[in-house]
Amino acid sequence: MFGSNRAEKVSAYSMTWSDEELVARSIGGDPDSFNQLVLRWERPIYALAYRVIGREEDARDVCQETFLRAFRALNGFRGQAKFSSWLYRIALNLCRDWVRRERRTPVIQAPDDLDALELSAIREPTVSVDDLVARRELTFIVERAMAKLPEDQRTAIILKEYHELTFQEIADLVGCPLSTVKTRLYQGLAVLRRELAKSES
Amino acid sequence: MIETICNYDGRDDLLVAYLYDEIDAADRATFSAHVNGCGRCTRELAALRGVRSTLSAWAPPEPRVITSYEPRTAIAEPRGTSHAPRAVRSWHDVPGWAQVAAALLVLGVSMGIANVEVRRDGAGWTLRTGWSRVPAQNAAALPATPASAPWRADLTALERQMRTELQSISATRAVPAAAPTSTMTDAELQRRVRTIIQESERRQERELALRVGEIMKDVNAQRQADLVKINSSLGFIQTSTYGEQMKQRELVNYLLKVSQKQ
Repeated sequence: MFGSNRAEKVSAYSMTWSDEELVARSIGGDPDSFNQLVLRWERPIYALAYRVIGREEDARDVCQETFLRAFRALNGFRGQAKFSSWLYRIALNLCRDWVRRERRTPVIQAPDDLDALELSAIREPTVSVDDLVARRELTFIVERAMAKLPEDQRTAIILKEYHELTFQEIADLVGCPLSTVKTRLYQGLAVLRRELAKSES
Repeated sequence: MIETICNYDGRDDLLVAYLYDEIDAADRATFSAHVNGCGRCTRELAALRGVRSTLSAWAPPEPRVITSYEPRTAIAEPRGTSHAPRAVRSWHDVPGWAQVAAALLVLGVSMGIANVEVRRDGAGWTLRTGWSRVPAQNAAALPATPASAPWRADLTALERQMRTELQSISATRAVPAAAPTSTMTDAELQRRVRTIIQESERRQERELALRVGEIMKDVNAQRQADLVKINSSLGFIQTSTYGEQMKQRELVNYLLKVSQKQ
């Protein structure tokens, strides 16, 4: 019963408040507001971390650490930028730290253990095993091609392709001129084009 | 193949802006006109669109364990979602009807394997079991075999022959004087009867072996079929359960998205 009331309360938040309003309410002492922010941004932040890092467990750690740091620094958030941009910046900094600390390029997990029986057990009812295998193989090809990119190009492409940020938002986020973002995107896409062509051949 | 050169000013940046449709209307019109007349830009634009299309297929895996968060657990995580390892999925997640169906299937297969026989006759209900082994003393209790069985004709012929022999013996003993010309002595008669009896026993043994072999074959075939059924049923149960979970999760995610938009 308590959980149900709590869920309704949080659900009501999601229909009512913007990110910035939830931040203000959280600073004012409402714990559910920050929980709602986590609920909204948990998956995008995890996806960003996974695509940059390439390791599921480390991406999860980065995701948790991002929200922890955001919560600690919430009082310092003045609303100069969007909350999501602020959150992305924290996550990207953590990813950058991780890459430098590990001193390695993103790890690509090859689908060596691709098992049709396992896939058939976990597959969605509307997706055939063949489609699932093809999707997994395509994912592996993309991950491998992305791993060839320098970190700045990779980050630019991830933010543009999967988080649909504008050139200006990416520039603000990574701290570079707008033209540099475009150049990184062009160069990154050119590398990907070459690498994907290799995979096809 | 010779690649043409394009010297359009600021080409690369414009190409990216054009690709992502993040370009001023005036610049867009100008560059679009250029692309239409430039083979290299046309090809490159098409190739980069292909790259973008391929990139869209890359989705990160579902996190197995996500941030501990009570309200999210209550809203976004329907019971039994796959964030927990699949290996620890419990039978409690299987629908009740599926558990009952599986139990009945297992019971039926077990009875078949155990050769359980339930019979009701004048003496009341009889329950007999024996792990696919038919005792010799129960051979007579086996169900009737088809009239077309190959050994039935032989058995009938043997019976007819024995009746004929016994009638001839009785006739000989009843009127010994009337048959002085009979050449069959008692020793010969005994030997002949013994031969007939031995032949009958051998036939009965062959019949019994044949029946046992047929029953074993049937039991094995039924067991294999039941095992296949069990396997397919369990697979169906698992797929159905996961499908329900996925539907629940998609529904919750949809509701969540709708609520966020509002």
